[in-house]
Amino acid sequence: MEVETSSGTAERGAGAGAQQQPPPQPQPQPPAKKKRALPGMPDPDAEVIALSPKTLLATNRFVCEICNKGFQRDQNLQLHRRGHNLPWKLRQRSGKEVRKRVYVCPEPTCVHHDPSRALGDLTGIKKHFCRKHGEKKWKCDKCSKKYAVQSDWKAHTKTCGSREYRCDCGTLFSRRDSFITHRAFCDALAEESAKARAAPPPPADEDGTSASAGAPPPQAPLPPPAPVPAPAPPPPPAAAPAPAAQPEQRDRDAALDQFATPAPPPVTAPPPPPVAAPNDCVSSSSSGVAPTSQSLLSSMFAPPSVAQAPQYADPIGVGAGGHQERAVPAKPPALCLAPNASSSLFTAPVPADRQQFAPPPPPSPSPHMSATALLQKAAQMGATSSSSSFLRCLGLDMSSSSSAPPSSSGQQQQHHHHHHQETMQVPLPASSLPEWPPRLQPEPSPMLSSGLGLGLPYDATGGPVSLPELMMGQSTLFSAKPATLDFLGLGVSPTGASTSRGFPTFIQPIGGAVSLAGSATVAAETFGAAHGGQANPWERNPSSSPIL
Amino acid sequence: MMQFTHTAPPPPPLHPNGHGLGLGLYLDVGATRGGGGARPWSSSSSTTTLGGSGYFPSSAAASKISLGNLNSTGCMEQLLVHCANAIEANDATLTQQILWVLNNIAPADGDSNQRLTAAFLCALVSRASRTGACKAVTAAVADAVESAALHVHRFTAVELASFIDLTPWHRFGYTAANAAIVEAVEGFPVVHIVDLSTTHCMQIPTLIDMLAGRAEGPPILRLTVADVAPSAPPPALDMPYEELGAKLVNFARSRNMSMDFRVVPTSPADALTSLVDQLRVQQLVSDGGEALVVNCHMLLHTVPDETAGSVSLTTAQPPVSLRTMLLKSLRALDPTLVVVVDEDADFTAGDVVGRLRAAFNFLWIPYDAVDTFLLKGSEQRRWYEAEVGWKVENVLAQEGVERVERQEDRARWGQRMRAAGFRAAAFGEEAAGEVKAMLNDHAAGWGMKREDDDLVLTWKGHNVVFASAWAPS
Repeated sequence: MEVETSSGTAERGAGAGAQQQPPPQPQPQPPAKKKRALPGMPDPDAEVIALSPKTLLATNRFVCEICNKGFQRDQNLQLHRRGHNLPWKLRQRSGKEVRKRVYVCPEPTCVHHDPSRALGDLTGIKKHFCRKHGEKKWKCDKCSKKYAVQSDWKAHTKTCGSREYRCDCGTLFSRRDSFITHRAFCDALAEESAKARAAPPPPADEDGTSASAGAPPPQAPLPPPAPVPAPAPPPPPAAAPAPAAQPEQRDRDAALDQFATPAPPPVTAPPPPPVAAPNDCVSSSSSGVAPTSQSLLSSMFAPPSVAQAPQYADPIGVGAGGHQERAVPAKPPALCLAPNASSSLFTAPVPADRQQFAPPPPPSPSPHMSATALLQKAAQMGATSSSSSFLRCLGLDMSSSSSAPPSSSGQQQQHHHHHHQETMQVPLPASSLPEWPPRLQPEPSPMLSSGLGLGLPYDATGGPVSLPELMMGQSTLFSAKPATLDFLGLGVSPTGASTSRGFPTFIQPIGGAVSLAGSATVAAETFGAAHGGQANPWERNPSSSPIL
Repeated sequence: MMQFTHTAPPPPPLHPNGHGLGLGLYLDVGATRGGGGARPWSSSSSTTTLGGSGYFPSSAAASKISLGNLNSTGCMEQLLVHCANAIEANDATLTQQILWVLNNIAPADGDSNQRLTAAFLCALVSRASRTGACKAVTAAVADAVESAALHVHRFTAVELASFIDLTPWHRFGYTAANAAIVEAVEGFPVVHIVDLSTTHCMQIPTLIDMLAGRAEGPPILRLTVADVAPSAPPPALDMPYEELGAKLVNFARSRNMSMDFRVVPTSPADALTSLVDQLRVQQLVSDGGEALVVNCHMLLHTVPDETAGSVSLTTAQPPVSLRTMLLKSLRALDPTLVVVVDEDADFTAGDVVGRLRAAFNFLWIPYDAVDTFLLKGSEQRRWYEAEVGWKVENVLAQEGVERVERQEDRARWGQRMRAAGFRAAAFGEEAAGEVKAMLNDHAAGWGMKREDDDLVLTWKGHNVVFASAWAPS
């Protein structure tokens, strides 16, 4: 900075002040970097100084003759001598008479060997020489990164393992691997490279030497290049490496500089961090889409949460379907398996269901839902094909009421491959609407549980209920009350007018199967093994809490 | 639910607190009985599922039916197995019953076991709808599968990088493989990496970085990538490989490394024949100063194994699987190093029940681990679980070449590699150290152990992913 500022600063650069001033550091903010002048463009009037490598590498070359203590700077030695009561002399600044000094690198192949690219301060040239041409003898114990300059190493070790990598796009990384991978694919690198190729290639300093040795921009946020009044600077603190003040930035920047092309990086608005929700994933769907990923099959049993579906010919498909492609399979309307069969029974048990009504978190176009979609497809097909299919068991008793021609649903399907809700809505028989509200009869609660095919004993405490019990039902609950059987649709033909009791055909297969003696036996056999399941030696803890 | 009893569209009911997640089954009986007037969801007692209907003697208590130990993993596995059996037996009724029970005990937003079960349930439904009694609907199903594929998230490269960074699932293999590769190619002026990976070169930047920093100076890097696009398992990349390659080349240039990028479209279903052929031609013109490294990261298992059939190359030889064929042809390229990283599981059972058990006893791990690095409801978490769900669906519901999740365990891969003419190259201390350091960035449940010459990533002590290195014997 001395290069571009007043002669007062220039003098500090030439004298002891160079040590006092924090050596220009790589700027922490990429935008600041951009404004930085190219390193090593000194004042043509400046005095060019060439120091030998030995001198540059020498530490503590000013030695006290009394105690042999060494100092990096003469001024510090002079102060030290004062303590021994020896004669001492602090160099007085003499204003404009002192010529500005610049320093060249002794390495002949180095660009800074040329006086026209000399560096403006002694510390800068020393660090440049060490970093660029010296041995990297300081190794970080944690990450094995090596440094030639001790202060660099010190700064690094303070932040190693913490947030120290920052991409030009603004994203911070705590791990080098993460940073590197991001960096390779981030557009910021591409832009920088493009600029670098466009600009005349300045010296590529891998370790940021060029940055630190060069002149920082006038508007550098830190360190402030306050022009110190020329006369009598206070004795400089002993060799305190200024960079320690900003270890993090320094290190981060060093990391950056490994990748940053020397050319000024482009000033672009930092792209949003990549982790942030990308726009292309945001669906505009407004009705609870995301939560549906939760009760994936509740769809099979639960009527669509869009209660008005039966009333409106195509509530979703027309109203909102156009912009909900991604989320469609996850949408509650998609769950509209058999709307007219909206079994109140089956809706009931799934609390997750209600989440569908919760304020929608971001939509979840989850592949999970594809199974539901499959079922819906199957449902359609089933409606037009065999009535004894699996689908029939899902309550898709379309044959009894389907007034919509299958072909129309087929068309719809062609046009809206992923608008399942539409395809499902279309076949809705208008004739079923009047019957829509199931005429629910008050039932004693035990029958309800039987009706669910579970025959559960009520267990308010949530105590364990074994599976066989579940599937078989407690005999008392299950068979004692005719009402229960009726409720289950026993004796009602699968395709028949179950609605006469206000219960959709949908549930009949289940209830019937379970309550029928034969089926119950099957269930018992099938689930008998569940007893063994409890003694499963699987060691995993089902509670699944993070073990952190 | 009872809103169906209303003619006017009710406002979306809000149940801030009524999910009852992880507590088993809550039966919302109230809603079924509520009649036309009451709106359970608008009542303040949203924690209970009962809608305030007066028909129940013991209202709130009676409405909560906990299925208690139904929530145990062993039980869930049993149910899934029964369900699979029922599907295989074309017993639609029983299938339906079990599906229903499973559905109620395994909400997809429940605890990790419930989510795991939900994924399997979904896969079983998918299978049920295409087999046996439901064969009639096969055509429709095919349609649905196609459209379902549209909903797999397509990552940008930067997105994918940070996504993969969340867990050691892939990073473990990256770290171990990179360490082994850098060691193996020491001194070679030209390094040719053949990346057989499902993760779209996400391993390569760190490898470039390591090679660029090696003591003898950066080598010339040639990268050949297998593009298995149509059949590729997730994650899907929203970027053509050419563009991805340009970024990598640019990055290598920033590290003063010259790099050459090539994409070869190929298919696991024909044992990557087109890729191997290209490599063979290149080997012919190569002067021998090039180190050829084949980096197999979770892609080899997509090549059909014996259970998918065998091919006869000549009449004289017994038929071999495509998998065996591929390994032999890789061996014929005389590579400097072959790294095999894959999931330490066996999904090759011929029967669906066997696969179900194997998958259930392996894929609990991603569900169990996810809580340590992704919040519930986050977008990345949905991507993550969708990816696992895809895997489950593929293992259970797909057959033939469509079924690409054909993992084999570490020991089996070792047998295959040895049979193909490779010998194990042990990972050095440095590789192990780097893996350990990498694991320090992640949850405490992750660990690493050595088995034979391989490194194995573990979660709570269970094997997850193995990494093995092979050289021609």
